[in-house]
Amino acid sequence: MNWAILSGIEGNLTAYEAVLQDIQDQAVTDLYILGDVVGLQGDNEAIIQRLQSPRAGELEPQVCVGWWEEQCFSLYGVSGLQDAPELMAKVGGDGVKTFWKSISRESVRWLRSQHFGFHEQDCLLIHGSTVSYADELTPDTPAIELCDRLIRADANHLFCGRSGLTFECSVTPVALRSTVTTLDGVQAPQDCGKTPRQVIGVGSVGRSPGQATYTLFSPENGQLAFRSVNYGQP
Amino acid sequence: MKLAVISCIHGNYEALKAVLSDIEAQKADQIYCLGDLVGYGPYPNEVVNQIRSLEIPTCQGCWDEDIVEGLNACECSYPSQLAEHRGKLAHEWTNKEIRPDVREYLATLPLSLKRDNLCFVHGSPNSQHEYLLPSMDGFAALERVLSTDADVLFCGHTHVPYVRELADAKLSVTVKSPARSDAPQQFQATLKRIINAGSVGEPRHGRPNATYVLYDTDTAQVTLREVAYNYTKTCLAILEKGLPSIFAWRLARGMEFAERADDPTHVCER
Repeated sequence: MNWAILSGIEGNLTAYEAVLQDIQDQAVTDLYILGDVVGLQGDNEAIIQRLQSPRAGELEPQVCVGWWEEQCFSLYGVSGLQDAPELMAKVGGDGVKTFWKSISRESVRWLRSQHFGFHEQDCLLIHGSTVSYADELTPDTPAIELCDRLIRADANHLFCGRSGLTFECSVTPVALRSTVTTLDGVQAPQDCGKTPRQVIGVGSVGRSPGQATYTLFSPENGQLAFRSVNYGQP
Repeated sequence: MKLAVISCIHGNYEALKAVLSDIEAQKADQIYCLGDLVGYGPYPNEVVNQIRSLEIPTCQGCWDEDIVEGLNACECSYPSQLAEHRGKLAHEWTNKEIRPDVREYLATLPLSLKRDNLCFVHGSPNSQHEYLLPSMDGFAALERVLSTDADVLFCGHTHVPYVRELADAKLSVTVKSPARSDAPQQFQATLKRIINAGSVGEPRHGRPNATYVLYDTDTAQVTLREVAYNYTKTCLAILEKGLPSIFAWRLARGMEFAERADDPTHVCER
């Protein structure tokens, strides 16, 4: 079993095609896309159609929603806050108009039918974290927050795409003395697990022009590899 | 300075009066309230009047939020399906009973309060709906305290009082990426505490007595208080006012009598 884990296509069809080409040589068995398949710059309708209709011999992509999809739902009044205030703050009124025009209502419905995340074996694959789609985990996120996100995820490997970075943070609890006192007295001490766990940033396919990054992971042996694919502009 | 921290009064005016008398007897200098003034109990307006008249700093609980925002303020408001069914009945009754000025007051309540190295919330710093149970993973609990920049986090919501000390925390973190490969970093935290104030008006620790906590800011000493009161008066009022009789039954026993949530620190997709 060998997973290819992507995120952040952001409508960049050329970058996605380059990654699909690279994946062909990697003996990949499962293809996960952790959100942000649409974005402000690319051809959103084209990428959605490409995801919906993989070619013969290609893997069926398993897609979960990301930050851009959530903005889409907000704009179309499907869920979240009305009128996409996060999007407005990020791209302004003109950007909102451009984004609105770039995605049909039918495509919004398809995006809405995609997953919140994937729990596979001891792994959680998600755009941000279980706290929020906007939760951006990076190598500089405080250790206690990374630890908390892993505990909340109830997973040994948390794969996320929000930051667009490729990284592996291994978090190991070393010690914690926890004492609980109730009206009935002091309770037996709690044993805190010491298992090392990993937060993994899977990279971004379409955010950086000319260079796509993604992640390969083998759940049987825990082997992890970050891939970087250079491609020419169309 | 001696602080009294109360929470989860839930329209139980008899219990509130008894607790306020006990606080006076204990010579507390200041009272803080962690919300859930309404819901379940028969006297939501009277409880809010009392809290307002005493100018007690209060943060907004999940029931207070739901009365302001509507029941779907959070789809995961309840720890279980049975609790949700009962809660909806109580919500509908409270929603009809409550006065407009009381609703307006509940809407003004902040989600948290700070005082020096102390932070006060209803459920957790993340949400009024999150349960900080004493069995919660220690590092996750520590993260909640650290996220407030406080040393002591006061919460309620579970209706069972406790004090949790989190000491000598250590984590090791190793970062690898195409751009960098760092030596392991050590994270350490000094002693932090979570103090759950229990419930004045809907206790669930196995006895019908009201609970709250006292905290001495000079010595950091915590005292969990249990106050007996005439709960049968509240039980009768629950029945007389047409609230579900289960609320009187469980109030008299100090128990929830519902299945536990699979995940009290639920993933809220709101």
